[in-house]
Amino acid sequence: MQAMTFDDQTLMAYADGELDEAARAAVTAAMAADPQLAQRVAEHRELRRRLQAAFEPVLAEPPPARLLASARAAGVPGRVIPLKPRAVPRWSWPQWAAIAASLVIGVLSGALLLRPGTGAGPILARNGQMLAGGVLASALTNQLSGTQPPNAAVQIGVSFRTRDGIYCRTFVLQAAAALAGIACRERGSWQLQVLAQSEPGRSARGAYRPAASNLPPAVARTLDALIAGEPLDAAAEAAARTGNWSR
Amino acid sequence: MPAPEADLRAGLIALLPRLRRFARALCGNTHDADDLVQVAVERALTHAAQLRPDSQLAGWTFGILRNAWIDEQRARGRRTRLFAAAESGENVADPAHPPPSELLAVQAALARLPDEQRLAVALVLIEGLSYKEAAHIMQVPIGTLTSRLARGRETLKELLA
Repeated sequence: MQAMTFDDQTLMAYADGELDEAARAAVTAAMAADPQLAQRVAEHRELRRRLQAAFEPVLAEPPPARLLASARAAGVPGRVIPLKPRAVPRWSWPQWAAIAASLVIGVLSGALLLRPGTGAGPILARNGQMLAGGVLASALTNQLSGTQPPNAAVQIGVSFRTRDGIYCRTFVLQAAAALAGIACRERGSWQLQVLAQSEPGRSARGAYRPAASNLPPAVARTLDALIAGEPLDAAAEAAARTGNWSR
Repeated sequence: MPAPEADLRAGLIALLPRLRRFARALCGNTHDADDLVQVAVERALTHAAQLRPDSQLAGWTFGILRNAWIDEQRARGRRTRLFAAAESGENVADPAHPPPSELLAVQAALARLPDEQRLAVALVLIEGLSYKEAAHIMQVPIGTLTSRLARGRETLKELLA
């Protein structure tokens, strides 16, 4: 009997388990009679096995904190205001502080309550450093990410520790503009590490409205740069609050 | 509707390892891949209303990630044409987690495939989806999928031999 011939796509589909029963039986029978055919199927299977094995370790990696934070609070990416450069080789800190401060004031003017000296606004400037004040400071100190009301003006994303053991938290502040950022607890106050403006989540005909705006990429990258290990779980977060976020 | 939203968020978190693997197969470098996953997760949450109750979250989200990747490829193509920019930092590795050399070899081979072939290989061979599911995500007929898959496989076999 003349050996049946099969094109490569049929053999590939056989190796992938995509043939119907009749075609599958025909290929199986032909393979038994034709070692070359069996060899070609084995090569398809081997490539599949090799690719899967190569990527298997990716599944075991813990997802970066910024992706977890995104899944918990998402919306639309916005403009970015770096408050503290992470790795800026050319510019010194005082230049950055001045630029950052002017940017922030430009973005916030009118939209947010930046009232230096009164302590009532959510963002304060003190000695060239941006600090959380008012509702933002209060939420950072008191709110737990698992139990916050969905309509709160400040939504906490994740809490984590830096390599130095300092506590930091991501937040989204809903005001006239939505601002996402990271604040770290240093010397008894919440110092802002990065702040980015983002649009509030669009309500698609009222069908869905995210509880908070997203974590813009600059905030996400700062998070990845600062975090040591995993974000705090609910118990660790509650314990940190009890300890007033001190190291 | 807090319950479905919470379900969706939990579902996406559970899906993150697979989304990262899929994106890594498409992008090569970890940072770009995670950026892509982030975009996909955010779009999934923004468009939650479009998820039908009978559709699979994995397939739906893979489709969103695929579309985001194509958008990014087009934007990158425009930038390259406009500025002929050297892709600095293209292969930034995370020093804390050096990828296994086998993964690097496979990624290098995948990177040489045309985008559509790489997509077919990633969905079927790495993610283990059926031809039907993969064709649906790629928005092409099954015949188109299988021919892309066959050509991609052929090239990979030579590159990895």
